[in-house]
Amino acid sequence: MHQVELKKIKIKAEKEIKEADSLKKLDEIFREYLGQKGILSNLTKSLSKLPKKKRASFGKEINAFKVELEMALEKKKKLLKERLEKEMMEKEWIDVTLPGKKIVPGHLHPLTQVQREVGEIFQQMGFSIVEGPEIETEWYNFDALNIPKDHPARDFWDTLYLKRPKSTLKLKILLRTHTSPVQVRFMEKNHPPLRIIVPGRVFRHEATDARHEINFHQVEGLMVDKRVSLANFRAIVEEFFLRFFNKKVKIRLRPSFFPFTEPSLEVDISCPSCDGKKKCSFCQNKGWLEVMGAGMVHPNVFKNSGLNPRDWRGFAFGMGLERLTMVKYKINDIRLFYSGDLRFLTQF
Amino acid sequence: MIFSYHWLQSFFSKKLPKPEKLAEVLTMHSFETTCQYQNNLSNFFEKKGKREVLLDIDVLPNRGSDCFSHLGIAREISAVLNFPLNFSWEKSISFKEDPQLKTKDFIEVKVKSREDCLRYTGRIIFNIKVKPSPRWLREKLIACGLRPINNIVDIANYVMLEIGQPLHAFDFEKIEENKKGKKEIIVRRAKKGEKIVTLDGEEYELDENILIIADPKEPLAIAGIKGGKKAEIDEKTKTVILESANFSPTVIRQGSRHIDLKTDASWRFEHGLDPNLTELAINRAVSLIQKVAGGKIAQGLVDFYPQKIFPKKIILNLNEVEELLGAKISEKKVKDIFQRLEFKISKPAFASKSFQEKILEVEIPTFRQDLNLPEDLIEEIGRIYGFEKIPPNFPFASLIPPKRNFEVFWEGMAKDILKETGLVEVYNYSFIGEKEKNLFRFKEIIELENPTSADFKYLRPSLLPNLLKNILKNQRFFQQIKIFELGKIFRESKDKTKIEEKKMLSGAITGEAFFEVKGVVDFLFQRLGIPGVWYDQFQPTPEDTEVSLWHPTRCAEIKVDHQEIGFLGEISPNILESLKIKGKVVAFDIDFEKLSRLASEETVYQPISPYPAVIRDISILLPRKVLVEEVLNEIERNGGRLIADVDLFDIYEGEELPEGTKNLSFHIVYQDQDRPLSSEEVNEVHEKIIKAIEEKGWEVRK
Repeated sequence: MHQVELKKIKIKAEKEIKEADSLKKLDEIFREYLGQKGILSNLTKSLSKLPKKKRASFGKEINAFKVELEMALEKKKKLLKERLEKEMMEKEWIDVTLPGKKIVPGHLHPLTQVQREVGEIFQQMGFSIVEGPEIETEWYNFDALNIPKDHPARDFWDTLYLKRPKSTLKLKILLRTHTSPVQVRFMEKNHPPLRIIVPGRVFRHEATDARHEINFHQVEGLMVDKRVSLANFRAIVEEFFLRFFNKKVKIRLRPSFFPFTEPSLEVDISCPSCDGKKKCSFCQNKGWLEVMGAGMVHPNVFKNSGLNPRDWRGFAFGMGLERLTMVKYKINDIRLFYSGDLRFLTQF
Repeated sequence: MIFSYHWLQSFFSKKLPKPEKLAEVLTMHSFETTCQYQNNLSNFFEKKGKREVLLDIDVLPNRGSDCFSHLGIAREISAVLNFPLNFSWEKSISFKEDPQLKTKDFIEVKVKSREDCLRYTGRIIFNIKVKPSPRWLREKLIACGLRPINNIVDIANYVMLEIGQPLHAFDFEKIEENKKGKKEIIVRRAKKGEKIVTLDGEEYELDENILIIADPKEPLAIAGIKGGKKAEIDEKTKTVILESANFSPTVIRQGSRHIDLKTDASWRFEHGLDPNLTELAINRAVSLIQKVAGGKIAQGLVDFYPQKIFPKKIILNLNEVEELLGAKISEKKVKDIFQRLEFKISKPAFASKSFQEKILEVEIPTFRQDLNLPEDLIEEIGRIYGFEKIPPNFPFASLIPPKRNFEVFWEGMAKDILKETGLVEVYNYSFIGEKEKNLFRFKEIIELENPTSADFKYLRPSLLPNLLKNILKNQRFFQQIKIFELGKIFRESKDKTKIEEKKMLSGAITGEAFFEVKGVVDFLFQRLGIPGVWYDQFQPTPEDTEVSLWHPTRCAEIKVDHQEIGFLGEISPNILESLKIKGKVVAFDIDFEKLSRLASEETVYQPISPYPAVIRDISILLPRKVLVEEVLNEIERNGGRLIADVDLFDIYEGEELPEGTKNLSFHIVYQDQDRPLSSEEVNEVHEKIIKAIEEKGWEVRK
């Protein structure tokens, strides 16, 4: 009779477990059968009423059933958990293609970034960074650089002069038209050998358009030593452009004229936009871009800096930072740099 | 300057390279050159199949003395390509003088100031016929951008284009005679108030700055710049006085600027011509005049030439050629280059034999006014040889480590820090306009003598006006604007003898952002390693020019110890309204030079205490205008070294509180580096703080 009852219980339990659809239900089933006052507990207690002979075998059966039941419950529990988890994950589905949250970072001006790059490359080649005043005297801006008064060469540099009270007017005061005055200022105070670059703002009396600005930036370079030649200059600038553009750009040296260098040169680079194929608007189909003026320091500049030109040789060069930046990022209007337009600045 | 390709070809019997090729060769060895094909011109002349090709040659300013002429460019081509010149003065100059007529019987030249006029050459041609020029002559002038007028004037211009010497023709009859019955030509400075009407009908008032050509009565021409109406060549002209002179570049340049008149002639004189050219040019011109306009050429030349110019000699050490260029160029090659350039070479007699071998004495023809130094000759060698052929070669130099530039270093650091806080760097013009000057009431401001426009009339005395302009421009596209700039400002020194130029670091954030900006400034100082920053309520004095810029009750001076470093505050609503900026703007304006002097790279590491912190809160009711700074000082002074941090976490002002009061709540963090704190110990200190606060008359709410 007990066996029959146990069988019924088994069937019932199996059914209940099968039908259980929640962990809570499963828990109830557990308590119903395996709890302290559960069916199996009661059955075990009723064992004492059985004859001794049957007691042992029936006890074994109950225990076996208990284990079986526990396993079934465990199995079902796992199943339910998995299903639940799956349901929950389903609920937590997100559209991963939704846009990411906008980060609003700060930005450095492109000219700052390019100036740093230029500075780093030259520092690696042993050049120190030096600065000079933006307001200059005619002496440093022109005369000391071998650009005499009333000489057509001065027309190269359309100059902005400052209004000064008559009493202080010994020398005309102006906004430097190039960074070259710093050559003289530096050599007056520092004995060669020397290697410097001079980044800085310069000014021109010029109407602004896509290619011209009333103020812009230059980087001046100067190396003075006992033996320095144009061939040395060529090696230094080629290395600079190689590192700056991160690719082999061809450079071309052609004659030019600057009163403060002799010989004077213009440095062109093969257009990095079309690789010198003469097929782009950026270089106006020329294949070359003019990026730098250079030359060997003129003996008069050494003299005006208090050095004996027979003792020293040097090369000097100057390039426009805006120009370099425009070439690097293919920017077509110089005025963007001074527009303060965040739509432009936040791209860098 | 524009040159005719076919004209240049006429100087050579060998065929020149194609125009593009020639342009490239010139670009690499002489001057930047581009080609222009003139279809319109060939239509004009109805030439079939033959297009005029023009070369636009950017002659360098030191070569104006010889290369503003076809002959000059032809010489360049000859040297660069090693093409012999098919040109000689003998061929170009051939004319017949009339022995019956002696030039000096008809004119007398008086040069009053010798520095202004180095040479004055004149000739007379009688019985010419003024008429339009023949076609070949007109074509060449038009190609080079000049307008044909009549044969005499055209020939003068033609010779200028050909050999670079400006000439001028006067009508003989229209010039006054002197007492000796000769036409008298006077070269002198103008008198103040003297007037002249030039060939184009413009009247100029002259003064002592202007050199003129005059007859005994009045000015005939502005010397070297423009001819006058009085002695103009017209159809009735029968006799011509031709002038070929050399004027001082300085006087022509000053004069041309003074009356604001630049001409083909003045431009050439400004560059300093070879005085020996005047004679060749005038003879070339009379040769052409005789051919084209007929006439009798009077015998002889009037020639004022007190100080004849001879060829210069330059001593060149061949070792220096290699030293400067860094390329080995043989002596043979150097000599070849010099010969192509028409230089004469000899070994100087003075030098010892071994020394002599490395030395050349080079005689420079007078048409090369630009060459004076051995370096100039080395440039000639370099460019004719080709700078392109100089091989790259790294210098031998001592290893001197580059010096660190601290100002540049801190500049980069400060910019990076501000970028980290989300600010965008801008670059603005160094100028402000009249409008800004008036709006901000700037006083010690520097004005330009020759501004390009009213918007760029003054040097900026502050970075803020342009930053505010940036905000206005960006408000159409952005909700919040956060920008900064590091740049120089300019002010008159207190004693007005000097201009102060200094770097400032300024920035602005839009909106109710006072404490955000203050946070940015705090972060900046902290990251630059500057302790002891505090903010002092700004008390303006009446003469402070800044007053109008800042909101009077929302602005502070940024101080480190007792030094004022800058300003922080809301921009005055009046200013914002005038600029049409919407909403509020909070700005900072820091003296960067002071900042970089204070900055330090040292970060002192604070060990993290292993002992727990004890936090006690305190809530204080006090009058509204008591500064938080004061309360903090009170807490810190009484708490001593056990206080690790004080954190203001709530400020309340409201109806429930008595009028004119506020409630401040602080977390006070107690902690010791060396031991755990007992609760009794903390209580004791905390009670001390409460007592001190109550003694100030403030209420501690429990």
